Amino acid sequence: MTTSTTMVEVRGLAKQFKAANGTPFFAVKDVDLDIRKGEIYSLLGPNGAGKTTTISMIGGLIAPTRGDAKIGGYSITKQPLDAKRLLGVVPQEIALYPTLTARQNLEFFGRMYGMSGAALKSRVDEVLEFIDLTDKQNERVDKFSGGMKRRVNIGIGLLHKPQLMYMDEPTVGIDPQNRRRILDTVLRMRDEFGMTVLYTSHLMEEVQEISDRVGIMDHGEIMAIGTVGELIQKIGEEDMLIFRVGTQSVSSVQLERLKTVEGVTSVTYEQTAKAANGEGNGSLPIDGRVVARAKRGRQALPDLIGLANADGIEIQSVEVREPDLEAVFLSLTGRALRD
Amino acid sequence: MILQKLLTLAWREIYVTFTDRSLLLILVVTPLVLATIIGSAFSGLIGAGGGRDVPVSDVSTVIVNQDQGLADGTNHGQIFIDLLVPPADLSPEAANAESILFELTNAVTLDDPEAAREGVSTGAYVVAIIIPPDFSERIGVSQDDMTIEPTTIEVIGNESAPISANVVTMVVRSIANDIAAGNITIASTIEALIDRATSDLGFGMEFLAANNSGEFNPDFDAAFTTAAASITIEQQTVSGDVVGFNPLVTFGSAQAVFFMTFTALYGVASLLDDRKDGTLQRLIMSPTPRWVILIGKIIGTFVTCVLQVSLLIIGLAVIGILLQGEVTFIWGNNPLGVFAVVLAVAFAGSGIGVFVSGIVKTQEQSNIVVTVIAMVFGILGGAFFTVQGIPIIRDLTQLTPNYWAVDAFTRLSQLDNTIGLNLIVLVALGAAFFTAGLFLASRRLEF
Ligand SMILES: Nc1ncnc2c1ncn2[C@@H]1O[C@H](COP(=O)(O)OP(=O)(O)OP(=O)(O)O)[C@@H](O)[C@H]1O
Ligand SMILES: [Mg+2]
Repeated sequence: MTTSTTMVEVRGLAKQFKAANGTPFFAVKDVDLDIRKGEIYSLLGPNGAGKTTTISMIGGLIAPTRGDAKIGGYSITKQPLDAKRLLGVVPQEIALYPTLTARQNLEFFGRMYGMSGAALKSRVDEVLEFIDLTDKQNERVDKFSGGMKRRVNIGIGLLHKPQLMYMDEPTVGIDPQNRRRILDTVLRMRDEFGMTVLYTSHLMEEVQEISDRVGIMDHGEIMAIGTVGELIQKIGEEDMLIFRVGTQSVSSVQLERLKTVEGVTSVTYEQTAKAANGEGNGSLPIDGRVVARAKRGRQALPDLIGLANADGIEIQSVEVREPDLEAVFLSLTGRALRD
Repeated sequence: MILQKLLTLAWREIYVTFTDRSLLLILVVTPLVLATIIGSAFSGLIGAGGGRDVPVSDVSTVIVNQDQGLADGTNHGQIFIDLLVPPADLSPEAANAESILFELTNAVTLDDPEAAREGVSTGAYVVAIIIPPDFSERIGVSQDDMTIEPTTIEVIGNESAPISANVVTMVVRSIANDIAAGNITIASTIEALIDRATSDLGFGMEFLAANNSGEFNPDFDAAFTTAAASITIEQQTVSGDVVGFNPLVTFGSAQAVFFMTFTALYGVASLLDDRKDGTLQRLIMSPTPRWVILIGKIIGTFVTCVLQVSLLIIGLAVIGILLQGEVTFIWGNNPLGVFAVVLAVAFAGSGIGVFVSGIVKTQEQSNIVVTVIAMVFGILGGAFFTVQGIPIIRDLTQLTPNYWAVDAFTRLSQLDNTIGLNLIVLVALGAAFFTAGLFLASRRLEF
């Protein structure tokens, strides 16, 4: 169902690779996707989920084993050049000619998108301005910092004012300041230029912040699609209340008592070795946590604390975690996003 | 659109090579230095242009002067005999003392060109000089025939003594140039005309009338300038091989082609670098067909090779001038021919580059394969020492583009323009590897 509001339509897209030992496996398994014009659509999934493989097929780099993707109605397998003209690319790995300057890189790729002459020159000026590298434009990119390279990498994708921008983990391996900058850039692409953005990440926070819709991906499959709110609703919208109790042990009887508080659906006790803090190394101090789940966590909080105090459980700190994509991923796959 | 993209892609390849100083040092400066060093090992020969420092003497030479001469008795072919064959009444010592040329050659004359050729192949003579029957007619200028036509003197050398044969060829060329440039001809022609005018009353009247009316107005300068190119010295060994002469030409062109091989092979194989940089992926996701990306790379490599070899040829020419202390062009007088060889060898190199990039899968493999191929071709092509003396190797060399290019450059430098076969072989080599490699190389653009 291609409508005028659909930018990307993916049907039954699959890719088979051979693993190192020669056995074939599907890195992407019959994925269906519909990305609407003007939205930021994120593929969220852990390393190896198949995000890059999926968008590489959409971008015409990898030939699908089966299935097809359409960009603006053009099939990437049958009308690749028409489809690619609508697409701007920001690859996961920085893809620049190291010995060329920022400007030369931009001009070169501008020509490869059919731009030339004065139009190319002024557009390159504009993009350099946008990525804030006007004063460094004539320096070779191999002399640039990681963050600056990332910005050039993004600038190239923007050059020909594509309708669809594909950005594969553009924030990987850079400092918070540059990350913030990139996220703002992504939002500006949608808000100021009306671009559709296909964004991939394994970082829950940024996906949650910028996305209009999210596809959660694992093991080559899209597990769920929706707005952040919709996805959270799917898992029941429970808050997590985390009480740190240090080295105390908490009995199951005590946990049962906590469960009687109104609105609380489950209470568990977890122990984690405190090794991360680096305090001592012989016998590791134990960090115990009581985790309660509740529909409206903040309302249950006073009762829970009161009951715990009465029961002799000494609470060192309290954290209320509202449901997020991390929790959604966990409930969908039984695993954490980050391992 | 496609053309713009091809040019953009090719331009980047060229730009990147020629703005990389350390790469330029390797690709352009090193071969010049090496060629000069190796060439200087033969320095006694480099300066041989003047004929005074020739470290060769008593080269057993036979001259066959078939020249029929002109009606007035002028016989330009005779000049070679006068200059190279000592008069019978002089003792060898006296002859040697009289002329460096007598010292150089122990020239004798023969009438039968076949006997002379036979004599060279049996080793009785080291060199045979065969002057064609129409030599004077073609080279001479008279009132009836104001044009100078091209002609060819054959110099046949025994391949066991290539250097002696080369030196004699050089001397023959220098004499021929003198004749053509008019040092001898113009004098004898005018002399002959005046002789005839004084002895033949009718001709004398005509000559005078023509001269007064301005009708007879021979433009000797023009005639003789063009004549400089008119005598071709065809130097052969008995087996038909042209013998290399100027070491700067032989080693220089061999070095140039050797270093070009690296450019050609690494050039196309840099697809692997682009793959690693991710720029190849980016290009593929741009609205550019894969074949344009590949052909752009190949064109860029080809042009880089052409520029590199051209720079080396020019550099070597400058070194040639410096070493010889006079303004000469070591590559002969056919710059277009030289450029044709440059184009052909660059094409052959790029074609092999396409093939190599099709078979290597990683940068490590590419480093090894490129180095091995370039070294083997370079050694066979004579970049470091002459391998022509080793029988089996000599045949093997003909499988390399290096051999055909060096041979062509050498021929041209000896004013021998018969490089057609060389060009054909080079282009055919390039085309064959290109065709065989194109499909393989296109797999480097698949992910
Ligand atoms: N060319 C290939 N050949 C074989 N296996 C591949 C190839 N490309 C990717 N894979 C495998 O396919 C799976 C999916 O990889 P992909 O790069 O799409 O994951 P991803 O979600 O982008 O991960 P990341 O967050 O690490 O970038 C992984 O197991 C990967 O090892
Ligand atoms: Mg990836």
